[in-house]
Amino acid sequence: MPQNTPGPDPSKTAPAPTPATPPRPAVRLSGLTRRLPSGDRVLTIVDDVSLTIADGEFVAVLGPSGSGKSTLLALMAGLDRPSAGSVEIDGEEIQDLSEDRLALLRREKVGFVFQSFQLLGNLTARENVLLPLELARAAEPGRRADEMLAAVGLAERGHHYPSQLSGGEQQRVALARAFAPRPPILLADEPTGNLDSATGGRVLDTLSDLKGRLGTTLVLVTHDPAVAERADRRIHLRDGRVERIEGGPAGAPGPA
Amino acid sequence: MRPRLYLDLVRRESRGARGRMVFFAICLAVGVAAVVSVAGMSASLDQGIRGQARQLLAADLAISGRQPLPPETGERVTAAGAIDRVDLRETVTVVAAPPGPDGAPGPSQLVEVKAVGVRAGDDEPGAGYPFYGELRLRPDRPLAALLDAGSAVVAPELLRRLDLEVGDELRVGGEAFRVAGTVLGEPDNLRVGFAVGPRMFLSLDGLVRAGLVQQGSRVIYRTLVRMPEATTAPELAAAVEELRGELAPTWRVESWREAQPALRQGVRRVDRFLALVALLSLLVGGIGVAQTVRAWLASRLDAIAVLKCLGVRPREVLALYLGQTALLGLAGSLLGMVAGVAVQVALPHLFPDLIPVELVHPFQPTALARGLVLGLGVAVLFSVPPLVTALRVPPARVLRSDAQPLPLARGIYAAAGAALAAGVVAMATLQSRSLALGLAFAGSLVAAAALLALAGWLLIRAVGRLRDGGAGHQEGPRSRRALYLRHGLAALARPGSSTLSAVVALGLGTLVVLAMSLVERHLVSQLDADVPADAPSVFLVDVQPEQWPGVRRLLDDNGAEAVDSVPVVMARISAIDGQGLADLAEEEGLDGGPAADGGANDGDADDGDSDRRWALTREQRLTYMDELPEDNEVVAGTLWADPERAEISVEEDFAGDLGVGLGSVLAFDVQGVPLELTVTSLRSVDWGTFGINFFFVVEPGVLDAAPQQRLAAVRLAPEATQRVQDQLAAEYPNVTLIQIRQILEKIIAVLQRISLAVRFLGGFTVLAGIAILAGAVSASAARRGREVALLKTLGFTRAGVAAVFSVEYAALGLVAGAIGALGGGALAWAVLTGPMELEWSWFPAPFFAALAGMTVLAVAGGLAASAGALRRRPIEVLRREV
Repeated sequence: MPQNTPGPDPSKTAPAPTPATPPRPAVRLSGLTRRLPSGDRVLTIVDDVSLTIADGEFVAVLGPSGSGKSTLLALMAGLDRPSAGSVEIDGEEIQDLSEDRLALLRREKVGFVFQSFQLLGNLTARENVLLPLELARAAEPGRRADEMLAAVGLAERGHHYPSQLSGGEQQRVALARAFAPRPPILLADEPTGNLDSATGGRVLDTLSDLKGRLGTTLVLVTHDPAVAERADRRIHLRDGRVERIEGGPAGAPGPA
Repeated sequence: MRPRLYLDLVRRESRGARGRMVFFAICLAVGVAAVVSVAGMSASLDQGIRGQARQLLAADLAISGRQPLPPETGERVTAAGAIDRVDLRETVTVVAAPPGPDGAPGPSQLVEVKAVGVRAGDDEPGAGYPFYGELRLRPDRPLAALLDAGSAVVAPELLRRLDLEVGDELRVGGEAFRVAGTVLGEPDNLRVGFAVGPRMFLSLDGLVRAGLVQQGSRVIYRTLVRMPEATTAPELAAAVEELRGELAPTWRVESWREAQPALRQGVRRVDRFLALVALLSLLVGGIGVAQTVRAWLASRLDAIAVLKCLGVRPREVLALYLGQTALLGLAGSLLGMVAGVAVQVALPHLFPDLIPVELVHPFQPTALARGLVLGLGVAVLFSVPPLVTALRVPPARVLRSDAQPLPLARGIYAAAGAALAAGVVAMATLQSRSLALGLAFAGSLVAAAALLALAGWLLIRAVGRLRDGGAGHQEGPRSRRALYLRHGLAALARPGSSTLSAVVALGLGTLVVLAMSLVERHLVSQLDADVPADAPSVFLVDVQPEQWPGVRRLLDDNGAEAVDSVPVVMARISAIDGQGLADLAEEEGLDGGPAADGGANDGDADDGDSDRRWALTREQRLTYMDELPEDNEVVAGTLWADPERAEISVEEDFAGDLGVGLGSVLAFDVQGVPLELTVTSLRSVDWGTFGINFFFVVEPGVLDAAPQQRLAAVRLAPEATQRVQDQLAAEYPNVTLIQIRQILEKIIAVLQRISLAVRFLGGFTVLAGIAILAGAVSASAARRGREVALLKTLGFTRAGVAAVFSVEYAALGLVAGAIGALGGGALAWAVLTGPMELEWSWFPAPFFAALAGMTVLAVAGGLAASAGALRRRPIEVLRREV
């Protein structure tokens, strides 16, 4: 079995707390760069991005297609590995962790919502919601799954398979699944991209509602300015670089 | 991950793929069925022999040997606790019907004589022979009541051959005996189907009266002993040990509790061979398992990425899918176990010659366990290499479908491969009960599979080329047939088509079946037709020296050719280089006898020892001659060159078994007279000439005074043979005529039984190959559905599409048949010309049968698996594409 890092789990033996103020950021990116070979050239998808996202903040990442939004998201979750720079999640640098450790990190701290829903087709809606709860060994997973389904308005449809649900319903199941284990950080990749605007609006309402109730840090990738309007800060990417940052609390650090 | 969650996930993950997984289970079930039926049959036989051990011996304890038991044996047996004993003699002779009214000799027949010591009082039921088991006689009276010095009880077959009835008279050794009844069943006769002639019971007095026991006659002396009913196993073993210690090693002492160690060892030898053939079909099924898992996993990549995204660790993903395959392996194994039991139930009805129905007890726990363990082992071992792919699935795939696969820890494929190899060796070792055999089997299998894969790949490419250079490119209107051909061949050679594993599997099956049938055909034809034209056709044994001139004249009158005759002196080895037989036996650990319970592991480790035991203790036949016959060649030393010593020449292989060389001094007991001979030459013998040959040839003059007989070999025209036997039986009734042909036919019959069993099991490998082909076809169902839709939109009829597919499957079957035939031919050739030292000859029929059979099977299996795709209507498939 590869990438098996023995020893104590560093996320549990948390690093020495930094002196009280300011609170530890949820995400901190420093000089983050991702290059990919493409044919005989090397493309730089994400280029030296540095960024800090505060605990509980709602950040939208905007940019035309190919600007590196999704890759940035993947790097934040340890789905992809940077070519240079570092990613810090809840105070822990993750770029050098093994796949195993990354999986545990996602299990405990990061939730996901995707443009294409990515529900497991052979599980019912309820089982999809149940899965991360069970993985995290949450208490009373069944009750919590039912609560989450109720929270997204699908209490009656838990026994349906994804193929029996509409796109909006599927995405709401995905939201329930993502929020169920109460991750401190939620990453959303164009969650309304595959939905018509009315349905998308309802999904966004649900998202905002859950985020507000649970105090989750939310990073949302979109190219829809209307969606981005709801965020505390809007980060515009172009060619892998941070072009500009709008809004947000004063003192939030921009590019270093 | 908690076990319950893990099990939940395994259960849920199995939801989507059930249809495809059917092939997984079938691939496995075929091999498991083969393994279970072989192991079950062998365990049944063993159980049958153990269960009826007392009846098979007809006694608690038996002593047997080639000479009369020493007179004090009776007291010894009594001292060891016997309450009853009966003496038996077994020999072979020719019996005849009385001469006809015109004085012409009556018909004659070779029989197996069993002479039984009957006493007054033995005609109580249950007294005398047999102590256990049932001797079924007609009329239904005790043997002792039917037998006296002037009567015989014979097999009904003998009466038919001699055209006699119960109450008639027949001649044994020239003396008249009345047929007092017929024998329908005998408990202690294990040579069912292998006997040289029908059974005849005489009394011991009758045997003496017939004069069948003379100096040097081939007689087995047996004493059956009955112990008190309360005798415990240790007491019986102690009695056996005691008797073994007291009797010379030339005597065999066995108890019913040992349950026929020699017979069971024979069963085990056949079993280990057949078990490997069965394992082959299971391993071929493993190829199908690996292929199914690969296709299955390919369809689960997105799900795996999502699982990883949700925080399922890579190793947990691997474990999840391994658990899945284990579950399927369990299902496949259970299916195979059921099929294996069904095969055992059906087999005796299909091949009544192969296995007697009453010996089959199909529910053998050990056989079922073996099938389960091997089935699960194959399922898991063959799944691991394709499952390693699951580790590589990048979680980033949830965002981009072209995300780069994760790097793997170095050596993980090597580790999976090593585990697979080790597993195959372990399974082969389990099946053959020998590590050396297991290694050899695994090694040859890997080499054969690799060669077949290479040959298959080359052939598929070559076939694919055919369509470019062949008829397809002719100008002018193309026939529809050429069109089908071109499309079918193109489909076979399509890059990424997963048919190579089916080709290898079918090829391996063809290889086994074909190689076995070729070896069988060669052996049979060799034994049958290729007996040298100048070889003798009959042997005459027990000819007394003074009878020889008369016998010779009788033979000449009947047109006998190539008459050869030599004197024979029976003797026993008493010492080698001054070391007595008892010492030699002790040194070799020969006096221990077989273990009381020959467990499963006593295999063939003692073959060398038992060869030497046999060589040392057998009745030796000595001859003497001035010059060696042409088929002998002195390979060491010189013949009759030492004027000082009495010399002996030994056949080289036998000298090896005895452990003697030039200069060794062999002491013989020539029917009571000691004789010392020095080995001065070693000979090689060409046994294939069927001439008279001996292990020992003694310098002329030394044995002149010894009691002797003549052995003659002659060639008789087939139509003269029965006449000669009839005349000999009338004039020289002690002479036994043995027809080489009849002996060969017995050997051929045995060979054909083994060959049938091997080919039957090889058929399982072919079946596994068909399952793999069907699996590969069904895995490509989506692609084939699109293809069908497309072809139909282009104007192909459904039959036309089926024709295109048929061409593809037929070509695949032909390729598999061709490489299997090539491999099987090569294997048969290597075995025949190598260890068997036979000449290779060309039998085209099995090759063509292999090619035709594979083609038909592949088309049938392939079309059956494409039935779903063929039914597709163009619109539904194309719509789905959008």
